Amino acid sequence: MILAFAVAAAVLFGSGAYLLLKQDLIRMVAGIILISQSGVVTIIAASLSRGRAAIDVAPGERVSDPLPQALALTALVIGLATVALLLALVHRAIVVFRTAEQDELAATEAEHEAGLERRRQADREEIESDPDGERAP
Amino acid sequence: MAVDRGGTRPTADRPGWSACVIAVAGFALCLFAGGAGFSLPWAPSLDLRLAFALDGLAVLYGLLATGVGALVFAYGTRYLTLHLEHQRRPAVERWRFWPWMTLFAVSMVGLATAQDLVLVFVFFDLTAVCSYFLIGFDRAEREARRSALMALLVTVVAAVAMLVAAVLLHAEHGTFAIPELLDRAEPSTTTTLAAALLAVAALAKSAQVPLHFWLPKAMAAPTPVSAYLHSAAMVAAGVLVLGRVHPLLARSEAVLTGLVVVGAASVVVGGVLALRRDVLKQVLAYSTISQYGYMVMLYGIGGAAANGAAAFYVLAHGIAKSALFMTAGAVTMATGEDRLSRLGGLGRRVPVLAVAAGAASATLAALPLTVGFFKDELLFAAAVERGPVTVVLAVVAATLTFAYIGRFWIGLFLGPARGSVGAASTLLVAPVVVLAAVAVLGGVVVEPFARLAEDAATVSAGEPVTMSPGYHLDARPENLMAVAAWALGGLLLVLPRLTDGLSRAFAAAGERFGPRRAYDGTLRALDRVSAAVHDREVRDLRGSIAAVLVPAGLLIGVAFVATPTAGAYMVGIVEGADWVILPLLALVVVATVVTARARVRLVVALALAVVGFALAALYALVGAPDVALVAVVVETMLTLVFVAALSRLPREDPDRFVPGDPVRRRRDVFAALLAGLAAFVALWGFLSQPAADSVSDEHLRLTPSAHGGDVVTVIVADFRGLDTLVEITVLLVAVVGVATLVRRGRLW
Repeated sequence: MILAFAVAAAVLFGSGAYLLLKQDLIRMVAGIILISQSGVVTIIAASLSRGRAAIDVAPGERVSDPLPQALALTALVIGLATVALLLALVHRAIVVFRTAEQDELAATEAEHEAGLERRRQADREEIESDPDGERAP
Repeated sequence: MAVDRGGTRPTADRPGWSACVIAVAGFALCLFAGGAGFSLPWAPSLDLRLAFALDGLAVLYGLLATGVGALVFAYGTRYLTLHLEHQRRPAVERWRFWPWMTLFAVSMVGLATAQDLVLVFVFFDLTAVCSYFLIGFDRAEREARRSALMALLVTVVAAVAMLVAAVLLHAEHGTFAIPELLDRAEPSTTTTLAAALLAVAALAKSAQVPLHFWLPKAMAAPTPVSAYLHSAAMVAAGVLVLGRVHPLLARSEAVLTGLVVVGAASVVVGGVLALRRDVLKQVLAYSTISQYGYMVMLYGIGGAAANGAAAFYVLAHGIAKSALFMTAGAVTMATGEDRLSRLGGLGRRVPVLAVAAGAASATLAALPLTVGFFKDELLFAAAVERGPVTVVLAVVAATLTFAYIGRFWIGLFLGPARGSVGAASTLLVAPVVVLAAVAVLGGVVVEPFARLAEDAATVSAGEPVTMSPGYHLDARPENLMAVAAWALGGLLLVLPRLTDGLSRAFAAAGERFGPRRAYDGTLRALDRVSAAVHDREVRDLRGSIAAVLVPAGLLIGVAFVATPTAGAYMVGIVEGADWVILPLLALVVVATVVTARARVRLVVALALAVVGFALAALYALVGAPDVALVAVVVETMLTLVFVAALSRLPREDPDRFVPGDPVRRRRDVFAALLAGLAAFVALWGFLSQPAADSVSDEHLRLTPSAHGGDVVTVIVADFRGLDTLVEITVLLVAVVGVATLVRRGRLW
């Protein structure tokens, strides 16, 4: 079982990494989801004991390790929150830039940065052409 | 014009006066509580203690910081009001000034009293942080911002040397406590190295050559800051540290010689450059470099006499220099000019200020009947004790001081009247008068000052020091040296051409080859590196992801090669419910691969849902019903949100799907395979070696006392309740974020 869990978690992680490298923003989100699933599976697989659910435990009874379950709960909920935020961000980006392709987004950003840099340069020239304005106490 | 925001009359500067009251209280404390001290554990596991003691050295610097502080703060209440008015800034900006000023004074007293090397470091850096905000107070001006950053970087980066020294000494002697360190340190390579590192930090702070360039730049600060920074805080902090650890420095002859060299260089460079400066505060700034050079030189000479002289020098210089800075500020406020070439003949128009500034200048120039005379007498005595080289250096230093400070005072107050004089505020003149009175008083009754310096020197010399400064009308070497210095200085004053060329050449060489160029160059290079890295980071997200994945995978690989792994891996046994879990895991794997290869986004969403629900079923089978329930809810939500997001997007054109660059594709597959493989070996190893025991038993035992049946619920809600609270906060933040994004930036 150890091997089986390890394989499943590794496949989840590897596929997630592959999707992260994709151009499409939506697939990147999918990659993040897969990687967090890999994490949760690993936590659950790391339980030290297996048995019935740890509810109303009688002394000496064999139960499932409750601690990893609590951690997995936290991981699941936090995962949901971050993915929801990520999806909202991606959605907004796609609506604003009309593309989900990273290359095109990066190109738009570079264009925007270049515009900003041009304006900064213009500001600097304006300041430097007026040295009195700068050195006055 | 806009309506005056402060009303017709500026309101009283309450924060400023509060700072002043605090300084006066501190002064009283330092005066009457001498010898007091306490030591509390801070971080016992690191041997750190909050150890403070008001010993001789602490009293001297504490009195200086609070006494000069109180006067400067009183001056500042008026100055800052005028300053803000001139710049048309609202009066509330005081609140960006006085808290820092107060913290400056407090950290200076803390530094003076701290008896733990790490504590000294903390206060040392605290003064640098305060000075950063104060120098950059006129934040609209680029020069002020640059100067503030320069002061911060030079002093803070150098201060790291002090921390390194502290760690070195701790490793050797097992303590950070300064008195014990001074006891235990023997002459050794470690001691020498630590002493040298401490000296570097202190010298950068005291603006000594070659790290002096930040100080003249720091003139961008409002005058009260300059007055304080140059006389009693910040720059004084460096010399204070030298005094505090002096017995350690004295273990190494090389470090002492280095101090003499650096001090002498600073005396000459600062003095010569001060000779030709035109801006008032610049003259004084270069003078400060030169004056602290004296003190560093004295600490380098070492021994009882030199330590006493250094302590006395700090006191006399602090009084004189703060008065001179406040004079410069008062003159600039009254005339609107800040250059010697545009000022002159003010003596008849502001006689009180002229006399007071004259007393302060005389103190700096070491004329009789001021406390300054004794500072030079003690300096000369220490120099004579050391040898002919230091005698020459001391006379040169005193000559330069006499010349530049004479030029400063004469240029301001004598000669033809230049510049129009407005009303000089009483509050801008009174503190100068008080300081001048103290300086003259010290020239008549030197005893109290000598006692303070003796007590301080006893700490820094590590042996009892007695000093008896006084007027002697005979031909002893000290008197001859003083007369020689006055004569030579007077000559320079009368014939300024003698030094014009030298000073100009110095300034030009400094511009050309000076350390400031190195600083600028380093900063620019760092900027370029940062910009290049940033560029790569933001331009291509894929690149930066792969840059994390590939080295991480390789590192894990290296770790596995280096670790013996024989017999470490377990396949595990398959029993009972596992026969159902195995197909579920297979389903997860298949669905995952489908997700990765899907061409249509909807398929991605659905395959993800399959993965999620299969895992939920798996959780139910391993005895984790809580996780299974939550997983079902989360998966349902996630699938719905995903599909909803897809439906709101512009439609995806399936014909547009292009396989992309094959090289790139292969690279992606390679990175992903490497990541997956690394994850596999790491996870398999991790799962094969379970921990020996778990805290779960404790949780199981305690659950009934938490009034719960379900152990997992009790852990989440009770044992790790704080975690859950934070988690809820994260959820809340995420919800706000999502709501804002979906509503295009408006939350409501």
